[in-house]
Amino acid sequence: MDLIKNRKILIVDDEYEIRVMVEGFLRKEGFFRIYTASDSQTALALCRAEKPDIAILDVMLPDLDGFELLTQLRTFTPMPVIFLSARGEDEDRLLGLGLGADDYVVKPFLPRELLLRITAVLKRVYMPIPSEQFPVFHLGEISVDLESATVHKDNREYPLTAKEHALLVKLYESRGRIVTIDALCQAGWGDDGTSYENTLMVHIRRIRSKVEADPSNPQHLLTVRGLGYKLVLKE
Amino acid sequence: MDAVKVILRRFVGFTIILSIFLLILNIVMLSLLISNEIKGENSPKAVLQNVAASLHKVDAGYALNDEAKDMLLQNQAWAMLLNKEGDVDWEYQLPAEIPRAFSVIDVAKFSRSYLMGYPVFVWEHSDSLVVIGFPKQSYAKYHPYFLVQWISSLPTRIVLMVVGNIAIVLLLSIIIGTSFVKSAKPLIEGIHALSKENPIHVEAKGIFRDLAYSINSTSDMLQEKNESLKMRDEARSNWITGISHDIRTPLSMILGYASELEESSDISAEQRRQAGIIRQQGENLRSLIADLNLVSKLEYEMQPLNLEVTRLSAIARQVTTDFLNNDLDDRYQINLNVTGDHAKILADRKLLMRAVTNLVQNSINHNPQGCTIELAIHYDSGHLPCRFIVSDDGVGISNPDLKDLLELPYSSQRKTPVRTGHGLGLPMVARIVSAHQGELSLSSRIGQGLAVTMSFPSI
Repeated sequence: MDLIKNRKILIVDDEYEIRVMVEGFLRKEGFFRIYTASDSQTALALCRAEKPDIAILDVMLPDLDGFELLTQLRTFTPMPVIFLSARGEDEDRLLGLGLGADDYVVKPFLPRELLLRITAVLKRVYMPIPSEQFPVFHLGEISVDLESATVHKDNREYPLTAKEHALLVKLYESRGRIVTIDALCQAGWGDDGTSYENTLMVHIRRIRSKVEADPSNPQHLLTVRGLGYKLVLKE
Repeated sequence: MDAVKVILRRFVGFTIILSIFLLILNIVMLSLLISNEIKGENSPKAVLQNVAASLHKVDAGYALNDEAKDMLLQNQAWAMLLNKEGDVDWEYQLPAEIPRAFSVIDVAKFSRSYLMGYPVFVWEHSDSLVVIGFPKQSYAKYHPYFLVQWISSLPTRIVLMVVGNIAIVLLLSIIIGTSFVKSAKPLIEGIHALSKENPIHVEAKGIFRDLAYSINSTSDMLQEKNESLKMRDEARSNWITGISHDIRTPLSMILGYASELEESSDISAEQRRQAGIIRQQGENLRSLIADLNLVSKLEYEMQPLNLEVTRLSAIARQVTTDFLNNDLDDRYQINLNVTGDHAKILADRKLLMRAVTNLVQNSINHNPQGCTIELAIHYDSGHLPCRFIVSDDGVGISNPDLKDLLELPYSSQRKTPVRTGHGLGLPMVARIVSAHQGELSLSSRIGQGLAVTMSFPSI
């Protein structure tokens, strides 16, 4: 039994059709403990009675608006909340996230996207990966342990410096995709790391000497000329 | 206040120039008059000299030629010749009341002043003295005396006097000018405020009262107009926001169920394809609404800008990377050409990214056969503008249509109808650029691609 699918979900939206549609998607995905409410009062009552594990809130509700509802919910439960709103302005998103919502989805949305976001929030809140925050991954014969910041190559262990570690984490987060020079400088040196481009090149060269079998002919940490770098994981 | 200074300076300068001019004019006129009087043909001195010159000895006495006689007659003057003993040797028109013999004392007296009320002038004539008398009350005789020291210091005194005069004129003109400017100053400030559309209320008093009233009422009118314009803009923008909000909920349903059907295995492949088209069109509609909302907010200046110091090259790299990371079709190639890597501007990164992404997407959409897209950044240094150029080598657009592309579709400025897409893309980019105090220009020719240049003020 998938534990995630066991979770109780509360849908609060004043539009009947939206409630039906979202509930339909969720049931189809295997969620079965679904509650719906069309206004804040019902939602608050349901939260007290059923203690759902996650709530999907509309912002525009007939009685209280979604932001106020969240504020009231927070007085008695820390449960995760995703806003699903037709109000897509930056201020609304920032207000919602600032109030402590876990995500903010703007209508119109693709059901797949909403599902992924719900699952992501549920996983993050209820199934935290114990202790291991940084992954271990393999680049061919070489294994990179970001948790202990070490590289194992040819039965030898090479430590990673703090900067090399930060850069590798950033590259690994977007593995298979290009990460711009600017984003890497930002990750390594913070705020406006504009004057660090040359330093970045030096660090990349050092990382290559540790993670590449042949550093002068890189297979995994690739340069995308003019743009940035790309970490390719080949099995 | 610059205008006040200018007015005061002009006023003072003009007054000083005028005073100096008047002074010079007076001096010239006075000296002309005096010299005319003293040296003129009928001046006492001229008559005297003439008479003295023409007086000549004849057998028993003296004679005067006709010319000199005429002159004396003209001036109603009389003449006499005194010899060494003080007796009258010769006379002409001499009034009877005048004695015919004079002592040294008499001569000394009249030579300085009057002889029995007649202004007389004397001239030496070979051991004798020519005396000419003019009618009573015709000339005043003064003989000023001066200390030599006084005379020698005269130039300094004159200079001092002139300087003093100029100082007095300067002082007076500044006082008068300042009081004038003081009463005009509120008006000047008022007019300046009007041109900046600031609200203004000028105190109405003095000679400028009417003007002050006019300025106040103009200001009130401007404020009212701006207020109502702003309210109308706000109403329009809110209306568009409201409409797009209302569209979002039904569109959620269309997108939701269409994508559900697209993945359903209960229907045929053809039906799934059709559901896919519905979903795709729904997504197009979604982006149209987002663009419409942004354009309307930018148009009515209601879009809050989150300005940060931004490197243009970082934007270019991020946009290019996003396209490459999202599986850009092989028909398209994106090149970077950065000659101004240090070009920085104050920008809302999200908006600027959206503008550049939109331009690249435009090039992709309009060139289904594929093309090479170049993102170029040119910046030299200093206060020169930074240029961000997005260009392609695709089909291009004919020149006359170019300007039209920046106008909103269906607006009165747009002459040709929208051909592809919803036509909001370029107007949106243009508005984003102008929200950043930048300028956007297009250049293209059929078959030679399109180049969009955005110039931003550098920092």
